[in-house]
Amino acid sequence: MSEIGSDNLKAMVLAIAGRIADSREQLNRLDAALGDGDHGASISAAFEKAVAEVAGLPDPKPSEIWLTTAQSLMNGMGGASGALFGTLFLKGVAAIHGKERLGKADLNKLWAASLAGVKARGKAEIGDKTMVDALEPAVLAFAAYDNIADAWAAAAEAASNGAESTRELIARQGRAKYLGERGIGHQDPGATTIALMFEALDNYWREMTNGKT
Amino acid sequence: MSARVHKLINQPENILSDMLDGFCAAYGDIVRLTDEGLVLRATPKAPGKVALVIGCGSGHEPAMIGWIGQGLFDVNIAGEIFTAPGPDRILQGIKAADRGAGVLVCVSHHAGDLLNAELALELCQMEGLSNVDMVVLYDDISSAPKGREPERRGTAGLFFVWKMLGAFCEGEGDLAAAKALAEKVRDNTRSLAMSLSSCASPITGEVMFEMPEDEMEIGMGLHGEMGMGRQKALGARETIDLMLPPILEDLPFQAGDEVLVLLNNSGSMTLMELFILYKRVAEKLAEAGIRVYKSWIGPYATTQEMAGFALSLCRVDDELKALWDAPADGAYMKQR
Repeated sequence: MSEIGSDNLKAMVLAIAGRIADSREQLNRLDAALGDGDHGASISAAFEKAVAEVAGLPDPKPSEIWLTTAQSLMNGMGGASGALFGTLFLKGVAAIHGKERLGKADLNKLWAASLAGVKARGKAEIGDKTMVDALEPAVLAFAAYDNIADAWAAAAEAASNGAESTRELIARQGRAKYLGERGIGHQDPGATTIALMFEALDNYWREMTNGKT
Repeated sequence: MSARVHKLINQPENILSDMLDGFCAAYGDIVRLTDEGLVLRATPKAPGKVALVIGCGSGHEPAMIGWIGQGLFDVNIAGEIFTAPGPDRILQGIKAADRGAGVLVCVSHHAGDLLNAELALELCQMEGLSNVDMVVLYDDISSAPKGREPERRGTAGLFFVWKMLGAFCEGEGDLAAAKALAEKVRDNTRSLAMSLSSCASPITGEVMFEMPEDEMEIGMGLHGEMGMGRQKALGARETIDLMLPPILEDLPFQAGDEVLVLLNNSGSMTLMELFILYKRVAEKLAEAGIRVYKSWIGPYATTQEMAGFALSLCRVDDELKALWDAPADGAYMKQR
């Protein structure tokens, strides 16, 4: 399978929502150490809203699915997380606008636009202990493979390693910045959410293709 | 194992709507609540004046719902607990506030407030609403060193901006002048907070961070964010002697300056303690040759039941004094 359509993208949003809902308490606990302890609750509720809104779209194009997801996250969650996770999807919309089916090159463009958007919005770079620490390696790993299945697997692994790397970092953006060195030892909840997203996408792809590429 | 606090709420998911319903029922002569959950003035200001909008997380009452009214703000978009509202709601607030002379979106500097306001302004551009601008406000000296002021957080000292900017926007000044005035007050304001205890999230009931009984934290943010560090809890006099000098040095406030003083109660500090603290503030300012124009003591921007206070100073000139003394009629800010 080398192209994906709207049904796949809908299922991808659903897969992400399910994985994040399962991790709600874990994300709350991570956020309690660095923020106000509600990241899991708020992002799982926002993805639940996204799934419902996307399901209500009549015959949507891929870009419409991503736009609706972005709006659900921004307006359903609020806060810095809403703005940043919303931007992640919103900036991908222009990259796939007008397309009915997305090939590997389109997906590369989609993720590159998302990464650039998140970095610009949050003014964050690798090493700042933010979602960028998981997102950037995932996007780079995804682009490095021509085969979609290999790309998802590599992206999931890179995101997971990136999220784990935030444990030893000092935050330079967001509310955790004020913790300084006291944040060392705690993994960033935003980066963890990115890792869960890519894990869900990799799992979805493997189940959908039944191991075939 | 963290402690739990029982709060008198109904369902946690209804905290925001229940609170806004109660507030607007109580103060229906001053504010009204729209179907979208916006808090507006009961009687809008006259057309042709700059409108003031602020979106912010809830849980800090009376900020900012208590500041909607004549001589103050036009619209508050209250977000969930400690969570800035999303861009669509801010856009709704901008549209509801517009009186034909532009809208200034005020941002108390925190990542969520700033990012969502930026997104809302991008939506305004897409919709062709051109006469909208934002101003980013900050005052907390503990959150970034001198020379990096724009990285600082917005805390209780923005009280001075809200009041004077509100008065300014009852006049004839345009949007650019309103923004410049907000920046002028901001650039003359400095704050530092301290806390003796944590507070519990109203949603989960869980205490947000652990605080040993005999310690205090200087530089605590409005959400219990860490500040300059912990130390043994001191008495009132010693606490002011520790907190006032860095505030004075930062601007710097100098002999001959005139200032407004705010002692903001973070939640559960008693008025008795605040008066005792203020006695020392007054003594030290007199010693430094700094004249106090007016002082305010009370809970203006709270963090639930946190036991602590913020000390804020604002240097004023004749323009700012006149704006300070101008009438205001919000549910929790009155000036006659």
